[in-house]
Amino acid sequence: MAEEKVCSEITGTVWKIEVGLGDKVEEDDVIMILESMKMEIPVLAPCAGTIKELLVDEGSAIAEDQTIAIVNT
Amino acid sequence: MSRHDELAEELKARRARVMEMGGEEKLAARKAAGLLDARERIDYIMDADSFAETGMLATSHIPAMRQKSPADGKVCGYGRIEGRPAAIVSCDITTLGASSSLTNVRKMGHLRRTAIRNGMPMIFLNETSGARIPDTMGAQGTGALGQDPEQFVRNREIPYVAACLGPSYGTGTWFTMLSDFVVMRKGACLAVSSPRVTSLAIGEAVELEELGGWKLHTQKTGLVDYAVDSDEEALDLIKRFLSYLPSHAGELPPETEAPDESAYDGAPITDIVPAERQKVYDVRKLIAAIADPDSVFELKPRFGRVATTALTRMGGKVVGVVATNPMFKGGALDPDGCDKITSFLVLCDSFNIPIVMLTDTPGFLIGIEGERRKAPGKIMNFISALQMCSVPKLSIVTRKSYGQAYLNMGGSRNSDEMAAWTTGDVGFMDPNIGVNVLYGVTAESDPQKFEELKAEISRETSAYDLAEIFSAQSVLDPRETRQWLMSMLDVHSRGRERGLSRRALASWPTTF
Repeated sequence: MAEEKVCSEITGTVWKIEVGLGDKVEEDDVIMILESMKMEIPVLAPCAGTIKELLVDEGSAIAEDQTIAIVNT
Repeated sequence: MSRHDELAEELKARRARVMEMGGEEKLAARKAAGLLDARERIDYIMDADSFAETGMLATSHIPAMRQKSPADGKVCGYGRIEGRPAAIVSCDITTLGASSSLTNVRKMGHLRRTAIRNGMPMIFLNETSGARIPDTMGAQGTGALGQDPEQFVRNREIPYVAACLGPSYGTGTWFTMLSDFVVMRKGACLAVSSPRVTSLAIGEAVELEELGGWKLHTQKTGLVDYAVDSDEEALDLIKRFLSYLPSHAGELPPETEAPDESAYDGAPITDIVPAERQKVYDVRKLIAAIADPDSVFELKPRFGRVATTALTRMGGKVVGVVATNPMFKGGALDPDGCDKITSFLVLCDSFNIPIVMLTDTPGFLIGIEGERRKAPGKIMNFISALQMCSVPKLSIVTRKSYGQAYLNMGGSRNSDEMAAWTTGDVGFMDPNIGVNVLYGVTAESDPQKFEELKAEISRETSAYDLAEIFSAQSVLDPRETRQWLMSMLDVHSRGRERGLSRRALASWPTTF
């Protein structure tokens, strides 16, 4: 089983986490929503798999390219 | 047996030897691995019984290698795809690794010149180890190369398409880089040199995927449009791409039957695009809602995703759509997005495909990383290309459009006809940022003052403000989008050139 990092493409603040540990996701499913540039911008699953780790909390400040979750593929 | 019969038998035997390619064992191993061989790939993509080979009996110029080099490792010829002519070179990696040699480079040159002169697309099916050794060794080996001074000139007289179906180094890579559309089989490698040669050169281990794998090229470099799991999928995508392109630059793209317009009421659009500016959506759904059914063919879908570029049909006619996608980085245009749009504009203008631009962007993504990646230069490449396009250009501001990005996305006179949706919001920059820049006030430092100043600089940013000075020619209910685009495409395709481009971008590079 391989691990895939989920990274934020943009700087922002975590507004809402849409998945829980162990949840199954498909490619491009919304993992969490960031608030950035006064918009609600989703972070999408890069591949299908299961959520292994969530590395941030709602309200966390996120940098560009920061790993925010890990998906088991 | 007559002398003619004897000679015919010899010809038959020579042809049969060529069809054996690199031998039964190698071909069986490929079949077991689920791979098509060079000739099966041609049979798959070309219409039945349409393929006519050229250079079938060509071999290595080295006498001792002649028996080992059927067709000299590159199968070349002409055929038809969906009834339209095309030229193809298919690498036979079972024959000397389909390496590039003096003879097969001459075959490819002949094929390419014939395709250009006769107006048919050129297809490169690559699976090659690179330059042939020892043929190209030494001064005379290397000096014998490069006899065609226009080998790598791209004037886009015809479409070039390429598939990387295995290792692709040297000449295979060069022609892939000159192509308008590239598809790659997962597990293939597209690079200057092989991982082995590269490892030896830099003294450290190099992994195939890291050096030139599908993820690198579909997501990071953008040199490849699609990655697929099988040869058949790759060949199907090439057929699909070519179905939108004219056979050559002197004709318009092929039309299909127009769908029944009464099936469109535009209603889905207001469900797809929220009126609230802070809500994002996937612009690909909007494009699908305004295009003919099942006609959207996105290019580079995994690269530069802040922008979506897609070949589509409207009323059966081919249209190239450029859109910012709020789903990714809020639709803020980054250097990859600019490169993606520029290459798409070059493609559309060179092959007489009208351009539609859909804008919902907070502007160019600013930051140190962007500057390091030459963002200003890429922004200018993008708008230079747009201004040089002479195919019909239409643009619609769907929601936000700020600053230079407004101009780059066809704002004002950068398109032939421009409209703004009722949700349009145009200004020098996002009002939330503008308040801080102009007055040094943030929402946190003084919320009341911030809201007052924001209201002040948000005035006169509507679609109607744009229409009053005639920078937008129309204000649209979003549900009128398809109808407006079809009507304006009809108006702006009627010039003296009848939709044919002046092709000022035809010799622009394929990568930036």
